[in-house]
Amino acid sequence: MQLNFAAREVAIKLVYYGPALSGKTTNLKALHARVAEESRGRLMTLDTKDDRTLFFDVLPLVFRADVDGATIRVRVKVFTVPGQVVHSSTRRLVLQGADGIVFVADSQVSETENNAASFLDLRANFKDMGRSLAQVPLVIQFNKRDLVKIRRDAEIDDLARRGTDPVYKASATRGEGVIECFFGLLERAWRSLDKEHDLASTLGLPSDLFLERAAASLGYDETARALSAASVRCCGS
Amino acid sequence: MRASRVPPPAFDVVGDLNVRIEDVVDREDLFEMCRSAQALFGLGVRVYSSEGALLANEGRELSMCGLVNETAAGRAACGATVNRAKSVDPLSSAEVSDGYLARGRALGADHVVHACFTGLAYRIVPLVYETRHVGRIVLGPYAPADMKEAPALLVRTLPTLDRQEANARLLGLPRFEPSALAQIAQHLKTALEVIIFSSHKAYLTSKMHLYSVRESYRTLEEKNERLEEALARLKELDRLKSNFLGTVSHELRTPLTSIIGYSEMLADGIAGPLATEQAEFVDTIHRKGEQLLALIVGLLDLSKLESGTMSLRYAPMQIGPTLKEVVSTLAPGALKKGVEVELALDRTFCELAGDAERLRQVFVNLVDNAVKFTPKGGKVTVTATVRTIEPGALSEVRGTSDVDDIGIVLLAAPHLDQKAVEVTITDTGIGIPPADRAKVFDAFYQVDSSATREHGGTGLGLSIVRRIVEAHHGVVSVQANEPQGTIFVVTLPSAHARRVMPSRVPPAVRP
Ligand SMILES: Nc1nc2c(ncn2[C@@H]2O[C@H](COP(=O)(O)OP(=O)(O)OP(=O)(O)O)[C@@H](O)[C@H]2O)c(=O)[nH]1
Ligand SMILES: Nc1ncnc2c1ncn2[C@@H]1O[C@H](COP(=O)(O)OP(=O)(O)OP(=O)(O)O)[C@@H](O)[C@H]1O
Ligand SMILES: [Mg+2]
Ligand SMILES: [Mg+2]
Repeated sequence: MQLNFAAREVAIKLVYYGPALSGKTTNLKALHARVAEESRGRLMTLDTKDDRTLFFDVLPLVFRADVDGATIRVRVKVFTVPGQVVHSSTRRLVLQGADGIVFVADSQVSETENNAASFLDLRANFKDMGRSLAQVPLVIQFNKRDLVKIRRDAEIDDLARRGTDPVYKASATRGEGVIECFFGLLERAWRSLDKEHDLASTLGLPSDLFLERAAASLGYDETARALSAASVRCCGS
Repeated sequence: MRASRVPPPAFDVVGDLNVRIEDVVDREDLFEMCRSAQALFGLGVRVYSSEGALLANEGRELSMCGLVNETAAGRAACGATVNRAKSVDPLSSAEVSDGYLARGRALGADHVVHACFTGLAYRIVPLVYETRHVGRIVLGPYAPADMKEAPALLVRTLPTLDRQEANARLLGLPRFEPSALAQIAQHLKTALEVIIFSSHKAYLTSKMHLYSVRESYRTLEEKNERLEEALARLKELDRLKSNFLGTVSHELRTPLTSIIGYSEMLADGIAGPLATEQAEFVDTIHRKGEQLLALIVGLLDLSKLESGTMSLRYAPMQIGPTLKEVVSTLAPGALKKGVEVELALDRTFCELAGDAERLRQVFVNLVDNAVKFTPKGGKVTVTATVRTIEPGALSEVRGTSDVDDIGIVLLAAPHLDQKAVEVTITDTGIGIPPADRAKVFDAFYQVDSSATREHGGTGLGLSIVRRIVEAHHGVVSVQANEPQGTIFVVTLPSAHARRVMPSRVPPAVRP
């Protein structure tokens, strides 16, 4: 996170991580398509080969909230990493300084092992950077729910309830579950940063106000609560 | 001794930096864009950075402006107008009160129109990148479509100006409709924003290329470091092991030599005559002592060979004399057992670079084995021939082909036929089952058979043979002799072939 008091700006970095072809880039495209125009910049897809990410994709977003007659800008840069195993150096570079992670898993049964390997890779990378994954806001997305031969709902729900991280189900190609998942991470990341830096008083921006403005920019006017409740654990319990 | 690790880059390479137009777009390119817009639309175009620095400027002085600029007061008023135009914040939602400005959706999303005291106007559009204000485009001055004549403001500002002339000049200017201006401004804004986007993208790409390579290099370095540490540890262990073996063998050998010596003297009756039974016992002590000594010597040799502390003294030599000596030493014993040993030397003249004493040891071991595992009436044949070998043939047999190494073109032996001496030791004995053929070269390995048990031995002979042969860059292999028996083949490269052989031992593991 970067704080710029003079400009009344906060910059946050969120990263979509996961195995190759799990749908990280597709998530970002779906997000771009759904965010209000005045809140988004151009989606930058850096150097791809056969549609596989080589370096990263990045989508700049800005959420504005007016407090005491001044506008506070929360700039959120959303990155994807390249999932292919060979690009591990690049993944580490993109991961540096992340304020939150969406782990995009591929729901297909056959991808179970790749999901696990990629997650171990994520953990190892954080460890290398001297951070613990336990301290990083994280949400998990099971993508490609529209396919057959996928992990069953009941199985995922059950596992989700046992874990500590919110789990979302999505079909990024159809745009389903994408916003919910993104908002889920945004909320976790914001609350964690607020706890650490007391943004409510240093910036004069209460969490609830920020989340409400962000939800509005994501097309959920006045319904941030509904978005917050979209993870498996919340609706299941 | 652990070297310090290089940490991964601690900063965010793709961090959220303020992108400045002047950093990502070439000045000349900006000018060119302004020039072509000016030519196409007949409008002056200026580009300012977010800090208000003029980055590009293209426009012809309008006749009206020429009139104003004739006087010092006119020039000053013009400068003040331009200054105000470039400091207007098109993104601010604050109310505009000075009467010069107009803004609103009707003009285009975030456009501002700034009026000049002459009745002309400027249109200002912000440039936005990554949702940040990075600069602005200022179009104009131009004559608005609804302009009628010189405004009162002009007269107030420059009372001495020729009003009629001013009106004539103003009315002679082409007029611009607000909608057309909005389109032109929007077009230029989009084009410039795309240019900024693409330039920044190219910049990020090259930065990522650079840092990815660096990061990969760093990871490799780290792995290398760990491997080197592991290797050093292994080498140290290896050294300790052979030191230990060396010391132990030495400490064992000294007292053993005394045991053998004294039992020999006893047997020779130096300490007085022995009874038959006593003589038998002493003889057993002597024989077992010799056996033990052979084992210790073998272990010592092996440990020296393994740790690389046995220094072989390579000198120019021929194989013929060595083989003759071996056969003449072992043939009498074999004959007593009823096994004939024959030596067939065929055009063996080929200079080797070898340690004659060690090679003698090789062939003593092989011929000794052949005799040992061949029953009465059998025959052992030793032959030697000079052969031509394919380049790389010897390394391939050992499974250390260099084919996919980087730089093979520099490291590989020149493509010349080379000579080698091939020695075969053929017997008609019990043979070695196919499954055991690779294993007999392992230390202590003996084929589990009654014949082996009957002969005792340590199982070290062949492992020493292989190590010595390989130290000579040679190869030893075993195959079946038809209809029965075994053939051991030793191939030793000529001195010349050895000279052109690439060193296959990586520097790090060289003793
Ligand atoms: N059926 C289905 N296909 C999907 C879904 N999400 C992504 N895909 C497809 O999966 C493929 C890979 O998607 P990407 O978004 O490029 O995957 P990625 O995770 O960015 O892959 P890398 O850049 O290699 O790490 C594409 O063909 C997508 O169309 C989904 O929800 N359902
Ligand atoms: N010519 C051969 N014919 C049949 N078997 C053989 C022959 N040469 C070696 N072997 C088998 O290979 C084993 C290993 O041979 P090696 O020379 O290493 O040990 P050894 O002869 O048993 O003992 P040492 O040579 O130490 O006295 C032998 O025990 C034997 O089983
Ligand atoms: Mg991708
Ligand atoms: Mg032997």
